[in-house]
Amino acid sequence: MWDQAKQALDQSMAQILTKLASLLPGTVALLVAVGISIVVAWILGNTVRRVLVGMQFDERIVRWGFPSVAEGSPVKSPTLLVSWTIAFLVIIAGLLIGIAAFDAEWTSRFVDTIAAYVPKILGAALVLVVGTVIARFLSRSVLIGAVNMNFEYGRLLSVGVKWLVIVLAVAMALEHLRIGSGIVELAFGILFGGIVLALALAVGLGSKDLVTKSLEREKKKASSEAVEDPLLHV
Amino acid sequence: MVCEARKTLSGSPRIVILQGGPAGDPAKPTATVSGDSPSVSVLSWSSLRADALGTGMPSISAAYQSVFAASERLSARACCVIASKTTTPMQQWICQLMQPLLEAGCDLVVPDYAHSAFAGLLNAAVVSPLTRSLYGKRIRNPMGPDLGVSRQLFQKMLGGDRNGRASARMHPLASLAPMAFCANLEVCQVYGGARVYPQTDWTNISSLVAQVLGPVFLDVERNAGCWQRTRGSVSLRGVGDAMPAVEEPGTVDISRMAESFQLGIRDLREIWSLVLPPTTLLELTKLSRLAPDRFRMRDELWVHIVYDFALGHRLRTINRDHLLGSFTPLYLGWVASFVRELETAGAAAREQRLERLALAYEAAKPYLVSRWRWPDRFSP
Repeated sequence: MWDQAKQALDQSMAQILTKLASLLPGTVALLVAVGISIVVAWILGNTVRRVLVGMQFDERIVRWGFPSVAEGSPVKSPTLLVSWTIAFLVIIAGLLIGIAAFDAEWTSRFVDTIAAYVPKILGAALVLVVGTVIARFLSRSVLIGAVNMNFEYGRLLSVGVKWLVIVLAVAMALEHLRIGSGIVELAFGILFGGIVLALALAVGLGSKDLVTKSLEREKKKASSEAVEDPLLHV
Repeated sequence: MVCEARKTLSGSPRIVILQGGPAGDPAKPTATVSGDSPSVSVLSWSSLRADALGTGMPSISAAYQSVFAASERLSARACCVIASKTTTPMQQWICQLMQPLLEAGCDLVVPDYAHSAFAGLLNAAVVSPLTRSLYGKRIRNPMGPDLGVSRQLFQKMLGGDRNGRASARMHPLASLAPMAFCANLEVCQVYGGARVYPQTDWTNISSLVAQVLGPVFLDVERNAGCWQRTRGSVSLRGVGDAMPAVEEPGTVDISRMAESFQLGIRDLREIWSLVLPPTTLLELTKLSRLAPDRFRMRDELWVHIVYDFALGHRLRTINRDHLLGSFTPLYLGWVASFVRELETAGAAAREQRLERLALAYEAAKPYLVSRWRWPDRFSP
């Protein structure tokens, strides 16, 4: 009996060792691929960083109207963000190549799924970028217009408009990515409606007196002679 | 009136009056005013139809363009546009604008209206001293609107307009004087009566500022090669006798303008920081904290602001419409300071004040030239 047990143990050990041995080349290939990709990522990342620094990319980003990229990024530098993103993508590519050494079919199915999803990611990114640009433009237009009309709550209106457009853009991007579509729609509806209601209340309650005075002024103007303004600009 | 004016001009020139309506044939005028000879004719010209929206600058610009086009088609020696009402009798005013063109060899005749207290403020604050500083000519009203233009000059305008892109199309009122200066053409200044200005529409002041300053800043950019070499200023040839200034007693309420300025300091600082250097922002902040009776914007501060905005317009630091819109509270702050300072002053004191402002523009020109040539070195 001990001989049979020993034989069973020897067989299972041999199977495991054979399995491990069959995985060894793939593991070595994975480590080599990841190692090479890390080196390539480091070289490429440095090159991209130097090129962007030479182009004064950080200053240009702010001038193009994207200071939030610099403020929102964890590294506070769009140049570093771009170079690290490129390096990260190279490492991911190396990882996928290494994983293909284990099971090419599994990897190719994984890559096919990712490749089919990439256009959606790009579309969502485009929606976010365009939405952010439009949000900044509209908020600035509203702010300047409100200040020139002597509205006290111009900043509130401007922030409200900005967040309305950003919320809309994020909801559209998530819808495009098919992430939690039902929940996102509901949350967007509640949030958007809430912001609009808040703005309407702020404007309506805040400008109640202004509207009253404006109507009284119009009524007086219609009934009395026009008073000439001594300041003439053009 | 035109017939009477024509009699005082030498050489008995033929005069064609353009009237808004369907386009007509230059060889067949729709009406003849004088009885026996077609020396004064009226021609219908479609582009002169009244603007249905009643907008200001764009419709005047279109009217000037159509007058130049008509003059070119009619092979006219000169053209004259009268777009405002003055206290000068119209017949005399027509002669005063036409005579230098026909008899004295002037290429551009600009008006010098009798000065009134607080009229033409945008011109006094920005347009006139900026033009004087850049091109070295002491011109009071570079944007007319009553102007006399010689054939040589309006052909240049039409030629430049055809060659340029639509977006860079020249605005006649803003471009005529700079073009004449840069081409070394003869510019004369005609003294006239007080101009009757349209009433201020306070709900539209921002659009007004943008409509006037947009073409001015575009022209500054277009003529950069011309004005950077100029230093100091000289007087233009004056025609006629200077009219006495118009005294307008009474107080002016500046609270609305001061309020607009305060609101701008509070809400637009972030936008201004993209165009103005920190020292200017600091000065504006200190200015906003002054009591109303001590509110006074220094000329040097105002000039730097105008120059920085002109540069910001060129660099497209922010959207140009936003830039010009954000300029309005600063302009109103200057108006409030100007009015507070000169409310009880006489005409002579106001003239001196405007002259000091113009000299401040000239003194600060090296600042503009440096920033224009090396914007990155001085960027805020």
